[in-house]
Amino acid sequence: MKEALQKAVREALESGKAKATVILVEKDGELMPRLVTKPDDPAIDSLYSGDRRYPTASFVVMLQPVITGDIAVPVRECDRRMLFELSKRNQVDLERLVLLGTPCTQEVADACGCDHPFTADDIAIAPSLASPADPLPLPEALQSNDPAEKLAFWMGEFERCIKCMGCRNVCPMCFCNDCALDNLDLVSAESKPPEIPIFHLIRAVDMADRCVDCGMCEAICPAEIPLRQLYRQARQIVKDAFGYEPGVSEEKSPVEMLGEPTELAGMEEGFRTGQIPAE
Amino acid sequence: MAEAAEQAQEDVKIVAFLCNWCSYAGADLAGVSRMQYPPNVRDIRVMCTGTISPHMVLKTFQEGADGVLIAGCHIGDCHYGKGNYMTAKRFRVIKDLLASLGIDERRIRLEWVSAAEGAKYQETITSFTEQVRAAGKSPLAKAGKR
Repeated sequence: MKEALQKAVREALESGKAKATVILVEKDGELMPRLVTKPDDPAIDSLYSGDRRYPTASFVVMLQPVITGDIAVPVRECDRRMLFELSKRNQVDLERLVLLGTPCTQEVADACGCDHPFTADDIAIAPSLASPADPLPLPEALQSNDPAEKLAFWMGEFERCIKCMGCRNVCPMCFCNDCALDNLDLVSAESKPPEIPIFHLIRAVDMADRCVDCGMCEAICPAEIPLRQLYRQARQIVKDAFGYEPGVSEEKSPVEMLGEPTELAGMEEGFRTGQIPAE
Repeated sequence: MAEAAEQAQEDVKIVAFLCNWCSYAGADLAGVSRMQYPPNVRDIRVMCTGTISPHMVLKTFQEGADGVLIAGCHIGDCHYGKGNYMTAKRFRVIKDLLASLGIDERRIRLEWVSAAEGAKYQETITSFTEQVRAAGKSPLAKAGKR
């Protein structure tokens, strides 16, 4: 696996397919991205190919404007979804990227709840689109139909938040220069822990048509808030209403297309006014 | 007198976002025509309902509103062309999201009220106030203040 990836990286640089490659290296127990431009760079020997994940896509977004020529990037299946969604939002130019599909071991796939990781022969071939894994089984509190119980569950989870901003900082889809979570009119700077539920819901509405379900937010959360479940619920709403799946659908997100007339599916009188109870 | 004030304290609070071109004028018409409607609503004028971010709706609930009404021009009548299509799409997402988290969906409503529809504004506020009263005080009112 490591040798195959090293070979693919060197090949991409030698053949001139890519001017530079982003690889992960491990230093003092921490993963960090590193840019290599020469096939004989010694960093390639110490390339990290283990089970830990890193938001490489964020690094590529920063890097692309300052590099001329193509960049080769080793991607897991989730990384590919991120880059695809980011390209639709004009954050990254996919035509200038060479994606090196990197397989995940079964353990990683199981830990992520991913049912279609790249397999070993995916290296250096252009990966095709695939939906994220099937939904996780719901926590017990969310299986009930009682709204009060659901709300109590979420408030209980949000209560543990320490406002470390880890979920936002790790998220490759959080690319806005002006973040709503930094807006003092929305999120008070005085309250740490944050005001709930607004702090989490601001991110949830923004994730509804962006989240590619990589699960890194939940993995990094020190308070173990089930963020992935939250964003999956938001994703499901956009999927049901507009048939749009971030990272998978070919078209741009209909939710953010200003002025684009849309089929107002499910927007009939009763839904808007709430006077006819929704089934 | 004191009792009435106490009752008003306990009654539901509704924030209405009204678009400048249709619904605010509609509310104005209801006012100058002396139409009676419950005093629970606080109007906020925005230039277009398309400018209302879901974040603002969340903030309104966080600050203790029991209901949020968004009112704008009828589809096709938007002063800016297609601003209310944007509202409709966003409304769909925010309403379903709140519902999926266990916040009563009776608390949020989207209405199209034109500048000529003072009576519709009156009717909307009346029925929405009843609807929110049925849902009760918001569980989020100051819940997040720790």
